[in-house]
Amino acid sequence: MKNQLLIWMLPLLLLFVACGGPPAENPLLNEAAEKFDSAAGDSTIVRFAPVALKEAEEELQVSRELWEAKEDKVYVDHHAYLAIQKTVIAQETAKMNAAQNEIGRAESERQQVLLDVRLSDAERAEERARLALEEAQRERESAEQARREAQELANRVDELEARQTERGLVLTLGDVLFDFDQATLRSGGMRSVRELANFLETYPERNVLIEGYTDSVGAEEYNLGLSERRANAVKDALQERGIPENRIQTRGFGVEHPVASNATEAGRQQNRRVEVVISDQEGNIIERE
Amino acid sequence: MIKRYGKVLGILAGIGVLTACGSTNPPTQQLAETETVIRQAEQVGGDEYAPLELREARRKLERAKNAMDDGDYEKAIRLAEHARVDAELAQIKTMSGQSQRAVTELRESIRILKEEIERNRNRN
Repeated sequence: MKNQLLIWMLPLLLLFVACGGPPAENPLLNEAAEKFDSAAGDSTIVRFAPVALKEAEEELQVSRELWEAKEDKVYVDHHAYLAIQKTVIAQETAKMNAAQNEIGRAESERQQVLLDVRLSDAERAEERARLALEEAQRERESAEQARREAQELANRVDELEARQTERGLVLTLGDVLFDFDQATLRSGGMRSVRELANFLETYPERNVLIEGYTDSVGAEEYNLGLSERRANAVKDALQERGIPENRIQTRGFGVEHPVASNATEAGRQQNRRVEVVISDQEGNIIERE
Repeated sequence: MIKRYGKVLGILAGIGVLTACGSTNPPTQQLAETETVIRQAEQVGGDEYAPLELREARRKLERAKNAMDDGDYEKAIRLAEHARVDAELAQIKTMSGQSQRAVTELRESIRILKEEIERNRNRN
């Protein structure tokens, strides 16, 4: 056994004797060892490029053994260079594998985000559809509301027994609704005024112009006064029912603007009247010249 | 101890064999293989991602050919091995660079998509 060892070691001993002293430093080998150690200490490289790292280690080992054996520098350098390059290969391999992993992760994230985009597009479309539907609903409702209001107004106008003229809605309170030659309203006249007051309460944007008229019998001054008093009687009755004064105008026209001939009793009775002109929605009334 | 020295001796013997064989057979096969690795590195796009390594590989292969022509087969083999490892590095460096660029591009596209979602939300 001892002899065998001696036989194995003999050439080496000869080599040592031949060159003498320990082997001189090899800078390239040192560099290779340094680079390999740093790569081997990198957990990413150990994990992602174990084979390339192993190859680098083997080359380093060969280089070191040659150096220890004081082999020619050319051979030591040769394997040291291979060790360095394989170490860099291990580094790049690790980077590539890490990047490939990252690509896998990013790709699935991208799919998720694409899904989110589609989802958000769908949500937007849904939202738009919902808004459009609501808008249509509102329009329908407001049209319906307008129609109902118009219908309501028509009904109320019917109740009021007002008629549509070129001056707007006009309610005529006939002579029989007043005491003879007086400005006092009879109960029938009071009923008409009550309905008018209700109407004005429902439509607060509408105002009234109350106009008194007489026939041609009697003094003109007297007739004018009577027509004014009768118009004012209607105004007072409305105010009593809560209609504010600023919504009510009055005018006496006396014998002016007859609606029938003053030559007959029937015609004169028609001319003795109070007309209530109801304004439009903006409160405007077309007054007589 | 025996094992250790045995290995060293084995290597020494190997070098001796290489030197011995080198004198008889030119390493044509080894040079051809190296050339193939260089071509592969070129094909994957090495000139863009690892131009220096690829240049080194080509130069060393050239020198290996010259050494072979001069009859120094051992030097030719060493140079071919260097050229080969350089070309291998060029290849892997190229693939690594391409993967990293792909990652960057993917991340960018994700960022843009996310921005778009944010804009959509704000429009609602």
